Amino acid sequence: MQKVQLTAPGPKTDFDSDYQRYWEEMPCYLSVHDPDFRIIDGNRRFREAFGERIGQFCYEVYKGRDEICPNCPVEATFADGQNHPSEQLLTTQDGREVPVMVHTTAITDDAGEVVAVMEMHTDIGEVKRLQALLQRSQERLVQLFEEVPCFITVQGPDRVIQHANRKFRETFGDPVGENCFKMYKHRDEQCLVCPMQQTFDDGQAREHEEVLFTKTGEKLSALCTTAPLRNAEGEVEAVIEMSIDITQIRELQSQLASIGLLVGSISHGIKGLLTGLDGGIYMVNSGFAKDKPERIEKGWEMVQRNVERIRSMVLDILYYAKDRELVVEDVDLTALVSEIRAGIEKKASDADTEVRISLAEDTGVFAGDPQAIRAMLLNLLENSLDACRMDKDKGDHWIRLDVRREQPWMLVEVEDNGLGMDQETREKIFSLFFSSKGIKGTGLGLFISNKIVDKHGGTIELDSEPGRGTRFLVRLPLDAKPSIQPEDEN
Amino acid sequence: MGEAERRVLIVEDDPDIVDYLSFFLEDEGYEVSTASRCSTARKMMDDFRPEVVLIDALLPGKSGLELLVSLRRDPQWSELPLVVVTGNDKILEDDCQSYMGAHEGVRGPDGVLGKPVDRATLLAVLRTLLNDTKPN
Repeated sequence: MQKVQLTAPGPKTDFDSDYQRYWEEMPCYLSVHDPDFRIIDGNRRFREAFGERIGQFCYEVYKGRDEICPNCPVEATFADGQNHPSEQLLTTQDGREVPVMVHTTAITDDAGEVVAVMEMHTDIGEVKRLQALLQRSQERLVQLFEEVPCFITVQGPDRVIQHANRKFRETFGDPVGENCFKMYKHRDEQCLVCPMQQTFDDGQAREHEEVLFTKTGEKLSALCTTAPLRNAEGEVEAVIEMSIDITQIRELQSQLASIGLLVGSISHGIKGLLTGLDGGIYMVNSGFAKDKPERIEKGWEMVQRNVERIRSMVLDILYYAKDRELVVEDVDLTALVSEIRAGIEKKASDADTEVRISLAEDTGVFAGDPQAIRAMLLNLLENSLDACRMDKDKGDHWIRLDVRREQPWMLVEVEDNGLGMDQETREKIFSLFFSSKGIKGTGLGLFISNKIVDKHGGTIELDSEPGRGTRFLVRLPLDAKPSIQPEDEN
Repeated sequence: MGEAERRVLIVEDDPDIVDYLSFFLEDEGYEVSTASRCSTARKMMDDFRPEVVLIDALLPGKSGLELLVSLRRDPQWSELPLVVVTGNDKILEDDCQSYMGAHEGVRGPDGVLGKPVDRATLLAVLRTLLNDTKPN
């Protein structure tokens, strides 16, 4: 151990002994190191924590090591005379680990040479504990943000998404840096009414319902809430938006509404049919009273036609209500068409409409539900007949049914030169409860026909123009397995 | 067709209801003409000169309510009694109200008949309206 002469020797004074006491009582570990890294002095706290270790190497005393520590701050201070603050972990003589903040000071002789380095270790155990606590709670916050079962984004004043949680990323894709309207509305510009903007403008929270589009193009109904995020000055710096998926609730609501509509639509339809029946009965009765056989005949036809309509309406309702599963067997369309031919021809002649049936000699068989396909055919044909009956602009009306096999499809074409449909009607024609027939329609027939074709794995193509007429082209797959699972009722 | 016959125009797209109402009203001594579309009805007005028009609220193309508004706005026909015949269910009532609401200042129908049409009510409505506007 090297003897270090700090100052020129002189008589001890009270001043010296005061400083000796302050040194002793400093609330940290103080030690002085010689250039060999031996400890040549230490204060009371040092001695209490590390024992009487004067003369030993500092790395032994503080860390229990055999050699100098890497990045030793004492070594660095010997080299440049500067303070080298660092964090270290010390081990006391009873084995306790103490995290400390270390500062070093060069002690120079009269010639200005660094002859020793004083090291001050401040216990930062409490700070470390608080830091760990802070980190844990931050992690917990991040975890909460990430795992909350709703969509969360934080957006800046430029409508750019700064953060998004996991559920959002999974559903809409990674949005950071993207615009909100692009990300989940698939729009090119800001929405007309933007609750985010409103929250930025007035700092108030907003609640609104939106239809969002996922990254796979699926539609979601969401209840969105926006809230301001303010900086230290109280200005709105960003807005957080939290959205809850309420698609299922909305679907349930629309199902309930459908049931309401069904009831309304049925009673509506029944009223129309009752008027027809009333009319038929009136004409039969008055025909008898006035002895007018033509009128009786006409009235009786009306009664029959309306009874038939009630029958098919009830079948449609049952089909809708039960969401009937397909009963798959071999379907022979040639035979099926022959069966319904007579009925359709009778109805058509009552409506002064010509029926043109073109049926391939042998269409063979394919897998399907004959009853469902029969219902679908009748619905399409009756729809065409109605379109002719309601069209008063043309003199000669016809409906055409063409059945042929064209690999890989069985093709069924139903065409008429009746009223035809405008674009709005064409777009809605397969919707539930949509009817263009006024009081006579329930809006079930074509909805169900479309569903039947869909369940068979086929498609319906529609071609129609007002005044010209309508053509339905049904494609039923010859070798596809029809889905026999009951469908979700949406 | 005697002098006493009153002219009723039926605007209705359902052929059964057209047949029924025309037979019935002719039996009751009215002179009847029919149209299945608003545009046809509009063209027939000058020739037939109806004294009352029965309009089905749901007609293809233009709604019967549009026909009502267009006749009301035509000075020649603004006082003509118009009766709307409807399925009379809630949806239709709402539609009717919102439609009329959007045409402020236009007088609503002079009568509304629900389907199935009650013959006695129909006759009563026609008698009242025709007496009111053109007393014998």
